Amino acid sequence: MHLDPFELHRPATVEETVALARELAGRFDYLAGGTDLLANYKMHLNAKPHLIALDRLAPLRERRLDRIGAMVRLAELERDGAIRSAYPALAEAVDQVATPLVRASATVGGNLLVDTRCFFFNQSYFWRASLGFCLKADGDRCHVVPQKERCYATFSGDLAPALLVLDAEVEIVGPDGRRRIPLASLYDEGGDGIRRHRLAPGEFLAAVTLPEAARRRSSTYAKLRVRPSFDFPELGVAVACRWAGDRLEHLAVATGGLETYPRRWDDVTAPFVGRRASSELFREVGAAIRPRVRPVHNTFLPPDYRKQMTELFVRRALERLAPTSGAAG
Amino acid sequence: MSSGPLRSAAPAAMRLLGGRIPYVEGPLKVTGRAEYTDDLARPGMLVGKLLRSPWPHARIRSIDVREARGMPGVFAVLTGDRYPTPFGVLPITRDETALAVEKVRYIGDIVAAVAAQDELTAERALATIRVDAEPLPEYTDPRVGLRPVDEPIHRRGLNGTNIQKEVRQHFGDVDAAFAQAPVTVRVHGSFAGVTHAFTEPLVTLAEATPNGRLTVWSATQVPHYLHRTLSEVLGIPMHRIRVIKPEVGGGFGGKSDPLPHEIVCAALAIESGRPVKMLLDREEVFYTNHGRHPTENDVRIAFDAEGRLLGYDIEAVIDGGAWSSFGTVTTYYNGVLAMGPYRVPNFRYVGHRVYTNKPPSGAMRAHGGTNIRYSVEVAFDEAAEQLGIDPFELRARNALPPNSDTINQFHISSTSFLRCLEAVRERSGWASKFRQLPYGKGIGLGCGFYISGSNSPIHFTPKMPQSTVHLKADMDGGITVHSMQADIGQGSNTLLAAIVAEVLGVDLDRVHVHPVDSDVSPVDLGSYSSRVTFMMGNAARQAAEAMRARLVRAAAELLGAPAERIEVGHERFFWPEDPARSVSFLEALHKAMEAEGALQSSGSFTSKPMGGSFKGARAGTAPAYSFAAYVAEVEVDVETGVYRPTHIYAAFDCGRPLNRLAVEGQIEGSIHMGLGQFMGETMNYRGARLLNPALLDYKIPMPEQMPEIDVLLVGDDDPDGPFGAKEAGEGPLVATLPAMANALYDAVGVRFYRLPVTPDVVWKGIQGRRAAARRWKGN
Repeated sequence: MHLDPFELHRPATVEETVALARELAGRFDYLAGGTDLLANYKMHLNAKPHLIALDRLAPLRERRLDRIGAMVRLAELERDGAIRSAYPALAEAVDQVATPLVRASATVGGNLLVDTRCFFFNQSYFWRASLGFCLKADGDRCHVVPQKERCYATFSGDLAPALLVLDAEVEIVGPDGRRRIPLASLYDEGGDGIRRHRLAPGEFLAAVTLPEAARRRSSTYAKLRVRPSFDFPELGVAVACRWAGDRLEHLAVATGGLETYPRRWDDVTAPFVGRRASSELFREVGAAIRPRVRPVHNTFLPPDYRKQMTELFVRRALERLAPTSGAAG
Repeated sequence: MSSGPLRSAAPAAMRLLGGRIPYVEGPLKVTGRAEYTDDLARPGMLVGKLLRSPWPHARIRSIDVREARGMPGVFAVLTGDRYPTPFGVLPITRDETALAVEKVRYIGDIVAAVAAQDELTAERALATIRVDAEPLPEYTDPRVGLRPVDEPIHRRGLNGTNIQKEVRQHFGDVDAAFAQAPVTVRVHGSFAGVTHAFTEPLVTLAEATPNGRLTVWSATQVPHYLHRTLSEVLGIPMHRIRVIKPEVGGGFGGKSDPLPHEIVCAALAIESGRPVKMLLDREEVFYTNHGRHPTENDVRIAFDAEGRLLGYDIEAVIDGGAWSSFGTVTTYYNGVLAMGPYRVPNFRYVGHRVYTNKPPSGAMRAHGGTNIRYSVEVAFDEAAEQLGIDPFELRARNALPPNSDTINQFHISSTSFLRCLEAVRERSGWASKFRQLPYGKGIGLGCGFYISGSNSPIHFTPKMPQSTVHLKADMDGGITVHSMQADIGQGSNTLLAAIVAEVLGVDLDRVHVHPVDSDVSPVDLGSYSSRVTFMMGNAARQAAEAMRARLVRAAAELLGAPAERIEVGHERFFWPEDPARSVSFLEALHKAMEAEGALQSSGSFTSKPMGGSFKGARAGTAPAYSFAAYVAEVEVDVETGVYRPTHIYAAFDCGRPLNRLAVEGQIEGSIHMGLGQFMGETMNYRGARLLNPALLDYKIPMPEQMPEIDVLLVGDDDPDGPFGAKEAGEGPLVATLPAMANALYDAVGVRFYRLPVTPDVVWKGIQGRRAAARRWKGN
């Protein structure tokens, strides 16, 4: 199995990067940590002839409590005591990504934009050819849900659910300048496993910003997978909340590893705000989210189990975050 | 140490053996200096690549390689018609070809091969090859293949079916035994296929030179079978082929067949006239497979009211994949390896191994013994519960005694099974834990039995020893050891060196085990069936004793003492009546060399005839057997089904352990591999298609999933084993899986009959028990 040759560009400034992106429009990918992209290239998955590496852009490597550059390595976050204590959900998510070796290269931006995954997509060219390819690469049909319109590949990043419940925003740079949007808007709810984000051609992530309010919330992230390291999530649940005594003042729940994009469930959780901590409350929130998630059978564990675990993981996260003096139990 | 032939199996005091001996090649491996096949290069070396079948079953109409042949940088292109001679590791089932002939039989079957100047050119050349093939019906369910099918996968299938091997055995009267049995239990076991997943991928380097010789370096466990097969398929006499085995990064049975890519690589070297290296990628390794067979078994066991065994009634349907490989042996083993560690008075077995359009199954660590052992040991746990007898007691009541024979005429020379039970019961704290741990925590017992070397050599022509060891000692004081035994990381080179050093009384650094090279290494059949320590060990001891006798004669001459009174000390020889005077090893060696130059000696091992005279009687016979009793402790998150083994207590009878470090490593590694099959490893097929031919999706347990392990080595010396030793390479695996299952039952009250037992399965099991309103430990 060989890696097809590509041309690697390593611009030193944002301006240079944008100019290159304009020049190579449609013929390049941005390269962050490369831990996922290059593996996919080796399998000839939508490989491009040019790669624009972002590793020389100094502003993308900056790391502050309220702003984390997109090229910050996960291993750096893992060791950052201030960030860890400010955003427990983020720290827990980072700790559970792949393995220490992968985290040494993998980046924040790369994890937020990591390509969706599927048994029928993450395979060698030979494997895919023997099946007649699929919608997401080189083919015209889906083998998970047999039809020809929609790709069901699963979003498999860990950081997104954690950052979603922390109200993160993302700074985006591109040919038309710089913009900042809520992280939730980065992902395309109307898209699918192929059209999974709303970046315009040539745009790249520059940073994640976190509001001061996020630091006043308790938060946690839990991940379901067959093995306690290495594996992508079969389910990721992030919860953030703030209590006034035992009264729930703020609640955010997000999930990943289930569908084509990570989702925050504000419409489901809103009615629970104002309630007092109780085991019934925690159970109800989990039960309310479960029927809304729609995993398909394209990862290792069966979808019905992942749905059941969604309910449980939400409940358990809330139990963990319950006010210590509260009535929960 | 006495100077004559050793009188007892193991001398009272040994300097090296029985201790902890770090691997002799260890420093090279941990510093990255050890040479594996892919580290080697030859001038002008080409890259060999394979075109594989995208069809599970198809008839090849034509293969057009004209464009590939004409491409610059392409030196050879091969298809199946060039070397169509069938081969197979068992001479009675030669159904493989180097490249597909007429038909392809699984996705990944080899259709064509190219040797080119580099990988990119080779892959581009493969892409130009046009294969016109007619798809045929695909058979992926072995049960379908039990009956006649439209298009049998092989012509040799029984009566138009896909059955590769049928075994029917009956000893005693099973129906009568069951008719009078007060207690019977029945387990339907279902086992997904698993594969070896060794670290070093399959790789071969071959070079044909103008002097008419062919040299092949390969990652193999069986250099001798490779040697024979290369000769048969390529039509070159064996003496013009040289097989070299560099360091091998794990095998576990996955390198114990002569494999098609090895032959194709050699053929490409012949056709191109250039050295060719072929390194398979991980996906290709998954397709080459030869892993543990997907299996379904149905095990019925009858007991009397006191828990004494009355009989076994076993059926197994075994999914062989596309080829025979070791399948005939597998089919027997899935029945007969249930013959221990208990006395079975009546026994019936019907086994079928069926071809399917999947990558071939074959031998994998604890070959043939793992799945049947699982069902038997789970059945024992159920029977203990029904009988109201402690699981330890039930097993102890049925233990085979030493120096006994099974009903199918296996001879049990030594067994310390009862001591295994006692030791592990005590160390695990069983008495205060079994059925007494809180809900979600559990403890379980599983036992094991395995062959210490297959008594029957695979090749019978010519008749020759199963292992031969040559020694050479020259004036430099070094001793070079030659043998074709294959160190694959399991420590056989270290044991070989240690045995020689022990017998000669010298330091280990005097002994150099020469890399396997058929030009100089005398034949040993290779690393499979847990035969190496037993057979090579005996051969090495014999060779070393022969050399020692000559050194002793020389020492006696120098000391002016009678040779029969000379004793071997550390690096010296002495006469006990005058211990102040002694002769150093080097002095004795130089004296002995005066007449004949470098000393050479030879030792060999040939097994004694064993077994009955009925059909298949030799399958499962071994010069000795290993025994095991394992206790596993587990913790289950009862809401998610996620669980982990917290502790495994492993009592094992390998006779006398010769290198404790290696034995402990084998046991820990076996537990890891057994946990893999139990907890998550699976060849995940959708029809004929393997969904997870990659290590990310093939769930080998991670280091943090490993439990604490207590190894308890409690074996008595085996009368025929070298210094009392038996095997420790495969037997340590089998007890792991049922110990886990029985521990999970103790934890949550659910039986698991299908492997792997992933968290969702445990969760579903708990839901099912609750739905049936069956309470367990108050829950």
